[in-house]
Amino acid sequence: MKKIIFLTLTLNLLLSDVLFAQDRTPDFMRSVGKMYVVVAVIVAVFLGIVLFLTYLDKRLTRLENQIHDNDQKQ
Amino acid sequence: MKNISWWKWLGVILIVYTFLAGMLVPLGHGIVEINPRSVKTGEQAQFTLVGYNSHYEQDKDGLRAWLKLDDEHAIGAKEIRVKGDRILELDFDIPAYLPVSKRVQDFSLILDSETDGTAVLPTAVLVTQDSIDEEKGVSAWKNSAITGLTVTTGMTFPFRAIIYETIRNTYFHVALWLSMMLLFIAAVVYSIRYVRDPQPIWDSKARAFTSVGLFFGILGLVTGMIWAAYTWGKPWSNDVKQITTAIALLVYLAYFILRSAFEDPEQKGRISAVYNIFAFVLLIPLIYVIPRMVDSLHPGAGGNPAFGSEDLDSTMRMVFYPAIIGWALIGAWIANLQYRMDAIREKWIENLD
Repeated sequence: MKKIIFLTLTLNLLLSDVLFAQDRTPDFMRSVGKMYVVVAVIVAVFLGIVLFLTYLDKRLTRLENQIHDNDQKQ
Repeated sequence: MKNISWWKWLGVILIVYTFLAGMLVPLGHGIVEINPRSVKTGEQAQFTLVGYNSHYEQDKDGLRAWLKLDDEHAIGAKEIRVKGDRILELDFDIPAYLPVSKRVQDFSLILDSETDGTAVLPTAVLVTQDSIDEEKGVSAWKNSAITGLTVTTGMTFPFRAIIYETIRNTYFHVALWLSMMLLFIAAVVYSIRYVRDPQPIWDSKARAFTSVGLFFGILGLVTGMIWAAYTWGKPWSNDVKQITTAIALLVYLAYFILRSAFEDPEQKGRISAVYNIFAFVLLIPLIYVIPRMVDSLHPGAGGNPAFGSEDLDSTMRMVFYPAIIGWALIGAWIANLQYRMDAIREKWIENLD
Protein backbone atom coordinates (compact mmCIF):
# COMPACT_ATOMS: atom_id res chain seq x y z
CA MET A 1 0.00 0.00 0.00
CA LYS A 2 2.69 2.44 1.05
CA LYS A 3 4.79 1.38 -1.93
CA ILE A 4 1.94 2.09 -4.34
CA ILE A 5 1.39 5.59 -2.95
CA PHE A 6 5.10 6.30 -3.04
CA LEU A 7 5.46 5.02 -6.61
CA THR A 8 2.52 7.01 -7.96
CA LEU A 9 3.81 10.16 -6.27
CA THR A 10 7.33 9.76 -7.68
CA LEU A 11 5.97 8.90 -11.12
CA ASN A 12 3.82 12.00 -11.04
CA LEU A 13 6.73 14.21 -10.09
CA LEU A 14 9.02 12.67 -12.73
CA LEU A 15 6.43 12.83 -15.50
CA SER A 16 5.52 16.44 -14.89
CA ASP A 17 9.21 17.38 -15.01
CA VAL A 18 9.84 15.48 -18.25
CA LEU A 19 6.71 16.75 -20.00
CA PHE A 20 7.31 20.39 -19.23
CA ALA A 21 11.09 20.47 -19.42
CA GLN A 22 11.23 22.23 -22.80
CA ASP A 23 8.46 24.67 -22.06
CA ARG A 24 9.17 28.16 -20.76
CA THR A 25 5.78 28.36 -19.05
CA PRO A 26 5.76 26.88 -15.57
CA ASP A 27 4.39 23.35 -15.07
CA PHE A 28 1.32 22.62 -12.99
CA MET A 29 3.15 22.50 -9.66
CA ARG A 30 4.94 25.78 -10.35
CA SER A 31 1.90 27.65 -11.67
CA VAL A 32 -0.10 30.16 -9.59
CA GLY A 33 2.99 31.15 -7.62
CA LYS A 34 3.87 27.51 -6.73
CA MET A 35 0.67 27.32 -4.67
CA TYR A 36 0.22 23.63 -5.51
CA VAL A 37 3.43 22.81 -3.63
CA VAL A 38 1.63 23.94 -0.48
CA VAL A 39 -1.35 21.78 -1.46
CA ALA A 40 0.98 18.79 -1.97
CA VAL A 41 2.55 19.36 1.45
CA ILE A 42 -0.85 19.49 3.16
CA VAL A 43 -1.97 16.32 1.35
CA ALA A 44 1.27 14.60 2.44
CA VAL A 45 0.66 15.58 6.07
CA PHE A 46 -2.92 14.31 5.90
CA LEU A 47 -1.89 11.00 4.28
CA GLY A 48 0.79 10.63 6.96
CA ILE A 49 -1.78 11.09 9.73
CA VAL A 50 -4.06 8.53 8.06
CA LEU A 51 -1.20 6.01 7.85
CA PHE A 52 -0.43 6.56 11.54
CA LEU A 53 -4.09 6.07 12.44
CA THR A 54 -4.11 2.82 10.45
CA TYR A 55 -1.12 1.61 12.48
CA LEU A 56 -2.89 2.55 15.73
CA ASP A 57 -6.03 0.77 14.51
CA LYS A 58 -4.01 -2.39 13.89
CA ARG A 59 -2.53 -2.32 17.40
CA LEU A 60 -5.95 -1.79 18.92
CA THR A 61 -7.43 -4.67 16.92
CA ARG A 62 -4.62 -6.95 18.11
CA LEU A 63 -5.34 -6.02 21.73
CA GLU A 64 -9.08 -6.54 21.22
CA ASN A 65 -8.46 -9.98 19.72
CA GLN A 66 -6.16 -10.95 22.58
CA ILE A 67 -8.78 -10.00 25.17
CA HIS A 68 -11.57 -11.65 23.17
CA ASP A 69 -9.67 -14.95 22.66
CA ASN A 70 -8.83 -15.10 26.32
CA ASP A 71 -12.42 -14.53 27.39
CA GLN A 72 -13.55 -17.41 25.23
CA LYS A 73 -10.97 -19.78 26.74
CA GLN A 74 -12.22 -19.12 30.24
CA MET B 1 -18.26 15.55 23.24
CA LYS B 2 -17.83 16.64 26.83
CA ASN B 3 -15.45 13.83 27.75
CA ILE B 4 -12.86 15.13 25.28
CA SER B 5 -10.33 17.23 27.19
CA TRP B 6 -10.12 20.95 26.50
CA TRP B 7 -6.56 20.79 25.19
CA LYS B 8 -7.59 18.45 22.40
CA TRP B 9 -10.23 20.93 21.27
CA LEU B 10 -7.64 23.69 21.53
CA GLY B 11 -5.35 21.70 19.22
CA VAL B 12 -8.13 21.26 16.67
CA ILE B 13 -9.07 24.95 16.80
CA LEU B 14 -5.46 26.04 16.38
CA ILE B 15 -4.93 23.74 13.38
CA VAL B 16 -8.17 24.90 11.73
CA TYR B 17 -7.02 28.49 12.32
CA THR B 18 -3.64 27.59 10.80
CA PHE B 19 -5.28 26.17 7.69
CA LEU B 20 -7.62 29.13 7.22
CA ALA B 21 -5.23 31.96 8.02
CA GLY B 22 -2.29 30.16 6.46
CA MET B 23 -4.04 29.67 3.14
CA LEU B 24 -6.19 32.80 2.92
CA VAL B 25 -3.96 35.72 3.97
CA PRO B 26 -2.72 37.06 0.63
CA LEU B 27 0.93 37.44 -0.18
CA GLY B 28 2.27 40.98 -0.58
CA HIS B 29 3.55 42.64 -3.75
CA GLY B 30 6.79 41.13 -5.05
CA ILE B 31 9.28 41.29 -7.91
CA VAL B 32 9.78 38.02 -9.74
CA GLU B 33 12.14 38.91 -12.55
CA ILE B 34 14.19 41.76 -13.97
CA ASN B 35 16.01 41.93 -17.26
CA PRO B 36 18.90 42.60 -17.97
CA ARG B 37 20.66 41.49 -14.81
CA SER B 38 23.93 43.29 -15.54
CA VAL B 39 24.72 46.76 -16.94
CA LYS B 40 27.73 49.07 -17.25
CA THR B 41 28.33 52.47 -15.66
CA GLY B 42 27.40 55.53 -17.71
CA GLU B 43 24.69 53.61 -19.54
CA GLN B 44 21.08 54.55 -20.04
CA ALA B 45 19.75 51.23 -18.87
CA GLN B 46 16.27 49.98 -19.64
CA PHE B 47 14.94 47.14 -17.51
CA THR B 48 11.86 45.00 -17.93
CA LEU B 49 10.34 43.98 -14.62
CA VAL B 50 7.83 41.26 -13.83
CA GLY B 51 5.82 41.69 -10.65
CA TYR B 52 3.78 39.34 -8.51
CA ASN B 53 0.39 40.16 -6.96
CA SER B 54 0.73 43.62 -8.47
CA HIS B 55 -1.79 46.05 -9.98
CA TYR B 56 0.45 48.43 -11.90
CA GLU B 57 -2.33 49.54 -14.27
CA GLN B 58 -4.31 50.95 -11.36
CA ASP B 59 -1.29 52.71 -9.98
CA LYS B 60 0.34 54.46 -12.95
CA ASP B 61 1.25 57.61 -11.00
CA GLY B 62 2.03 56.02 -7.65
CA LEU B 63 5.05 53.98 -8.77
CA ARG B 64 8.59 54.76 -7.72
CA ALA B 65 11.73 52.64 -8.10
CA TRP B 66 15.33 52.75 -6.88
CA LEU B 67 18.56 50.86 -7.38
CA LYS B 68 19.98 50.66 -3.90
CA LEU B 69 23.39 49.78 -2.45
CA ASP B 70 22.75 50.71 1.18
CA ASP B 71 20.75 53.24 3.16
CA GLU B 72 22.85 56.15 1.86
CA HIS B 73 23.54 55.19 -1.73
CA ALA B 74 20.70 54.82 -4.19
CA ILE B 75 19.47 56.26 -7.48
CA GLY B 76 15.88 56.69 -8.50
CA ALA B 77 14.38 55.56 -11.80
CA LYS B 78 14.18 58.25 -14.49
CA GLU B 79 11.01 56.88 -15.99
CA ILE B 80 8.60 54.08 -15.29
CA ARG B 81 6.29 52.83 -18.06
CA VAL B 82 3.42 50.50 -17.21
CA LYS B 83 3.05 47.67 -19.74
CA GLY B 84 0.48 45.63 -17.85
CA ASP B 85 -0.62 44.81 -14.35
CA ARG B 86 2.49 42.70 -13.86
CA ILE B 87 4.97 44.25 -16.32
CA LEU B 88 6.92 47.48 -16.05
CA GLU B 89 9.67 49.15 -18.04
CA LEU B 90 12.16 51.06 -15.94
CA ASP B 91 14.71 53.60 -17.22
CA PHE B 92 17.77 54.35 -15.12
CA ASP B 93 20.68 56.70 -15.86
CA ILE B 94 23.54 54.73 -14.36
CA PRO B 95 26.20 57.22 -13.12
CA ALA B 96 29.73 57.08 -14.57
CA TYR B 97 31.26 55.75 -11.36
CA LEU B 98 30.21 53.38 -8.60
CA PRO B 99 30.26 54.41 -4.91
CA VAL B 100 32.65 51.54 -4.15
CA SER B 101 36.28 50.75 -5.00
CA LYS B 102 35.34 47.52 -6.74
CA ARG B 103 34.89 46.69 -10.42
CA VAL B 104 31.51 45.02 -9.95
CA GLN B 105 28.83 45.76 -7.41
CA ASP B 106 25.37 44.31 -6.96
CA PHE B 107 22.38 46.53 -6.29
CA SER B 108 18.96 45.64 -5.03
CA LEU B 109 15.86 47.00 -6.66
CA ILE B 110 13.16 48.66 -4.61
CA LEU B 111 9.75 49.27 -6.10
CA ASP B 112 7.14 51.24 -4.22
CA SER B 113 3.53 51.13 -5.28
CA GLU B 114 0.80 53.15 -3.58
CA THR B 115 -1.78 50.40 -3.99
CA ASP B 116 0.34 47.28 -3.49
CA GLY B 117 3.10 48.39 -1.13
CA THR B 118 6.86 48.03 -1.36
CA ALA B 119 8.68 45.19 -3.07
CA VAL B 120 12.40 44.40 -2.87
CA LEU B 121 14.49 42.23 -5.18
CA PRO B 122 17.88 41.61 -3.55
CA THR B 123 20.97 41.38 -5.81
CA ALA B 124 18.78 42.50 -8.70
CA VAL B 125 21.38 44.11 -10.96
CA LEU B 126 25.15 43.84 -11.29
CA VAL B 127 26.84 47.08 -12.36
CA THR B 128 30.35 46.94 -13.85
CA GLN B 129 32.72 49.92 -14.08
CA ASP B 130 35.95 50.21 -16.11
CA SER B 131 37.75 52.76 -13.94
CA ILE B 132 37.34 53.32 -10.22
CA ASP B 133 36.62 56.66 -8.57
CA GLU B 134 34.87 56.17 -5.29
CA GLU B 135 34.40 59.86 -4.42
CA LYS B 136 32.64 60.76 -7.66
CA GLY B 137 30.61 57.61 -7.33
CA VAL B 138 29.49 58.43 -3.82
CA SER B 139 28.27 61.87 -4.81
CA ALA B 140 26.47 60.52 -7.89
CA TRP B 141 24.69 57.71 -6.05
CA LYS B 142 23.48 60.04 -3.30
CA ASN B 143 21.02 61.71 -5.64
CA SER B 144 17.75 60.32 -4.32
CA ALA B 145 16.81 59.30 -0.85
CA ILE B 146 14.28 56.52 -0.37
CA THR B 147 11.47 58.03 1.68
CA GLY B 148 7.78 57.61 2.22
CA LEU B 149 7.58 53.92 1.39
CA THR B 150 4.06 52.57 1.43
CA VAL B 151 3.40 50.40 4.43
CA THR B 152 0.96 47.54 3.87
CA THR B 153 -0.44 44.87 6.11
CA GLY B 154 -0.46 41.17 5.29
CA MET B 155 2.18 38.62 4.46
CA THR B 156 5.38 39.98 2.96
CA PHE B 157 6.46 38.51 -0.36
CA PRO B 158 9.35 36.15 0.44
CA PHE B 159 12.80 37.71 0.30
CA ARG B 160 14.16 34.87 -1.86
CA ALA B 161 12.45 34.97 -5.24
CA ILE B 162 12.28 31.15 -5.55
CA ILE B 163 9.78 30.74 -2.70
CA TYR B 164 6.58 32.51 -3.83
CA GLU B 165 3.44 31.12 -2.15
CA THR B 166 5.35 28.13 -0.74
CA ILE B 167 6.33 30.40 2.17
CA ARG B 168 3.03 29.10 3.58
CA ASN B 169 4.74 25.74 4.09
CA THR B 170 6.31 27.38 7.14
CA TYR B 171 3.07 26.60 9.00
CA PHE B 172 3.33 22.91 8.12
CA HIS B 173 6.94 21.90 7.47
CA VAL B 174 8.68 24.15 10.02
CA ALA B 175 5.90 23.99 12.60
CA LEU B 176 5.95 20.17 12.44
CA TRP B 177 9.68 20.13 13.24
CA LEU B 178 9.26 22.44 16.20
CA SER B 179 6.32 20.48 17.58
CA MET B 180 8.38 17.30 17.08
CA MET B 181 10.91 18.93 19.38
CA LEU B 182 8.18 19.58 21.99
CA LEU B 183 7.02 15.94 21.76
CA PHE B 184 10.58 14.65 22.17
CA ILE B 185 10.99 16.91 25.22
CA ALA B 186 7.82 15.39 26.71
CA ALA B 187 9.19 11.91 25.94
CA VAL B 188 12.53 12.58 27.60
CA VAL B 189 10.78 13.99 30.68
CA TYR B 190 8.80 10.74 31.03
CA SER B 191 11.98 8.71 30.45
CA ILE B 192 13.68 10.56 33.31
CA ARG B 193 10.64 9.93 35.51
CA TYR B 194 10.85 6.23 34.65
CA VAL B 195 14.53 6.08 35.58
CA ARG B 196 13.74 7.67 38.97
CA ASP B 197 10.54 5.71 39.60
CA PRO B 198 10.02 2.65 37.35
CA GLN B 199 6.23 2.70 36.94
CA PRO B 200 4.98 1.13 33.65
CA ILE B 201 2.89 4.25 32.91
CA TRP B 202 6.03 6.45 32.53
CA ASP B 203 7.53 3.96 30.10
CA SER B 204 4.41 3.75 27.96
CA LYS B 205 4.04 7.55 27.98
CA ALA B 206 7.69 7.96 26.90
CA ARG B 207 7.18 5.37 24.16
CA ALA B 208 3.97 7.03 22.94
CA PHE B 209 5.48 10.52 22.76
CA THR B 210 8.63 9.23 21.05
CA SER B 211 6.59 7.43 18.40
CA VAL B 212 4.53 10.53 17.60
CA GLY B 213 7.69 12.66 17.63
CA LEU B 214 9.35 10.30 15.17
CA PHE B 215 6.21 10.34 13.03
CA PHE B 216 6.22 14.16 12.94
CA GLY B 217 9.92 14.05 12.09
CA ILE B 218 9.28 11.77 9.12
CA LEU B 219 6.44 14.08 8.02
CA GLY B 220 8.85 17.02 8.36
CA LEU B 221 11.37 15.24 6.16
CA VAL B 222 8.79 14.31 3.50
CA THR B 223 7.19 17.77 3.40
CA GLY B 224 10.68 19.27 3.25
CA MET B 225 11.53 17.09 0.26
CA ILE B 226 8.37 18.13 -1.58
CA TRP B 227 9.14 21.77 -0.83
CA ALA B 228 12.78 21.39 -1.88
CA ALA B 229 11.86 19.72 -5.19
CA TYR B 230 10.21 22.94 -6.37
CA THR B 231 12.49 25.52 -4.78
CA TRP B 232 16.01 24.08 -4.52
CA GLY B 233 15.43 22.03 -7.68
CA LYS B 234 15.61 18.51 -6.28
CA PRO B 235 14.13 16.70 -3.26
CA TRP B 236 17.46 15.71 -1.73
CA SER B 237 20.50 17.97 -2.06
CA ASN B 238 22.59 16.46 0.75
CA ASP B 239 22.09 19.72 2.60
CA VAL B 240 23.63 19.60 6.06
CA LYS B 241 20.27 19.92 7.78
CA GLN B 242 18.74 17.18 5.65
CA ILE B 243 21.58 14.82 6.58
CA THR B 244 21.71 15.61 10.30
CA THR B 245 17.95 15.35 10.75
CA ALA B 246 17.92 12.05 8.85
CA ILE B 247 20.60 10.78 11.27
CA ALA B 248 18.58 12.03 14.25
CA LEU B 249 15.49 10.21 12.99
CA LEU B 250 17.50 6.99 12.53
CA VAL B 251 18.71 7.32 16.13
CA TYR B 252 15.09 7.53 17.26
CA LEU B 253 14.11 4.65 14.98
CA ALA B 254 16.73 2.55 16.77
CA TYR B 255 14.83 3.25 20.04
CA PHE B 256 11.96 1.10 18.78
CA ILE B 257 14.24 -1.63 17.48
CA LEU B 258 15.97 -1.66 20.88
CA ARG B 259 12.60 -1.99 22.64
CA SER B 260 11.59 -4.97 20.57
CA ALA B 261 14.78 -6.79 21.62
CA PHE B 262 13.69 -7.20 25.25
CA GLU B 263 11.01 -9.50 26.62
CA ASP B 264 11.12 -8.50 30.26
CA PRO B 265 9.11 -5.26 30.64
CA GLU B 266 11.28 -3.87 33.43
CA GLN B 267 14.51 -4.42 31.54
CA LYS B 268 12.92 -3.02 28.39
CA GLY B 269 11.69 0.05 30.25
CA ARG B 270 14.98 0.79 31.97
CA ILE B 271 17.26 0.38 28.97
CA SER B 272 14.97 2.21 26.55
CA ALA B 273 14.51 5.08 29.04
CA VAL B 274 18.27 5.54 29.28
CA TYR B 275 18.61 5.24 25.49
CA ASN B 276 15.90 7.85 25.01
CA ILE B 277 17.77 10.32 27.19
CA PHE B 278 20.93 9.73 25.14
CA ALA B 279 19.00 10.09 21.88
CA PHE B 280 17.66 13.46 23.04
CA VAL B 281 21.13 14.63 24.03
CA LEU B 282 22.30 13.66 20.53
CA LEU B 283 19.34 15.41 18.87
CA ILE B 284 20.37 18.87 20.11
CA PRO B 285 23.78 19.05 18.36
CA LEU B 286 22.40 17.30 15.28
CA ILE B 287 19.54 19.73 14.76
CA TYR B 288 20.62 22.94 16.45
CA VAL B 289 24.42 23.00 16.55
CA ILE B 290 25.96 21.38 13.46
CA PRO B 291 23.66 23.12 10.92
CA ARG B 292 24.75 26.47 12.36
CA MET B 293 28.42 25.71 11.82
CA VAL B 294 28.43 25.06 8.07
CA ASP B 295 26.74 26.50 5.00
CA SER B 296 23.25 25.26 4.36
CA LEU B 297 20.49 25.78 1.84
CA HIS B 298 18.13 26.35 4.74
CA PRO B 299 17.38 30.02 5.54
CA GLY B 300 20.14 32.09 7.13
CA ALA B 301 22.87 29.69 5.96
CA GLY B 302 26.18 29.59 7.77
CA GLY B 303 25.65 31.05 11.22
CA ASN B 304 21.98 30.88 11.88
CA PRO B 305 19.75 28.32 10.18
CA ALA B 306 16.63 29.56 11.93
CA PHE B 307 14.14 31.99 10.53
CA GLY B 308 15.07 35.66 10.76
CA SER B 309 13.05 38.81 10.35
CA GLU B 310 13.62 38.56 6.58
CA ASP B 311 11.72 35.29 6.41
CA LEU B 312 9.09 35.65 9.11
CA ASP B 313 7.13 38.88 9.45
CA SER B 314 4.71 39.79 12.21
CA THR B 315 1.66 38.56 10.25
CA MET B 316 3.27 35.18 9.74
CA ARG B 317 4.22 34.92 13.39
CA MET B 318 0.53 35.22 14.27
CA VAL B 319 -0.06 31.98 12.36
CA PHE B 320 3.29 30.26 12.88
CA TYR B 321 3.36 30.15 16.71
CA PRO B 322 -0.25 28.90 17.07
CA ALA B 323 0.58 26.30 14.39
CA ILE B 324 3.45 24.90 16.49
CA ILE B 325 1.23 24.61 19.57
CA GLY B 326 -1.64 23.19 17.51
CA TRP B 327 0.46 20.45 15.91
CA ALA B 328 2.04 19.61 19.27
CA LEU B 329 -1.41 19.26 20.86
CA ILE B 330 -2.62 17.03 18.01
CA GLY B 331 0.53 14.95 18.50
CA ALA B 332 -0.11 14.77 22.24
CA TRP B 333 -3.64 13.57 21.48
CA ILE B 334 -2.31 10.70 19.32
CA ALA B 335 0.21 9.85 22.08
CA ASN B 336 -2.62 9.97 24.62
CA LEU B 337 -4.57 7.34 22.68
CA GLN B 338 -1.52 5.09 22.62
CA TYR B 339 -0.71 5.15 26.32
CA ARG B 340 -4.34 4.72 27.28
CA MET B 341 -4.34 1.61 25.11
CA ASP B 342 -1.20 0.40 26.90
CA ALA B 343 -2.88 1.04 30.26
CA ILE B 344 -5.83 -1.19 29.27
CA ARG B 345 -3.46 -3.99 28.27
CA GLU B 346 -1.56 -3.56 31.56
CA LYS B 347 -4.75 -3.78 33.61
CA TRP B 348 -6.01 -6.79 31.65
CA ILE B 349 -2.74 -8.69 32.19
CA GLU B 350 -2.91 -7.87 35.92
CA ASN B 351 -6.45 -9.25 36.15
CA LEU B 352 -5.39 -12.48 34.44
CA ASP B 353 -3.00 -13.39 37.26
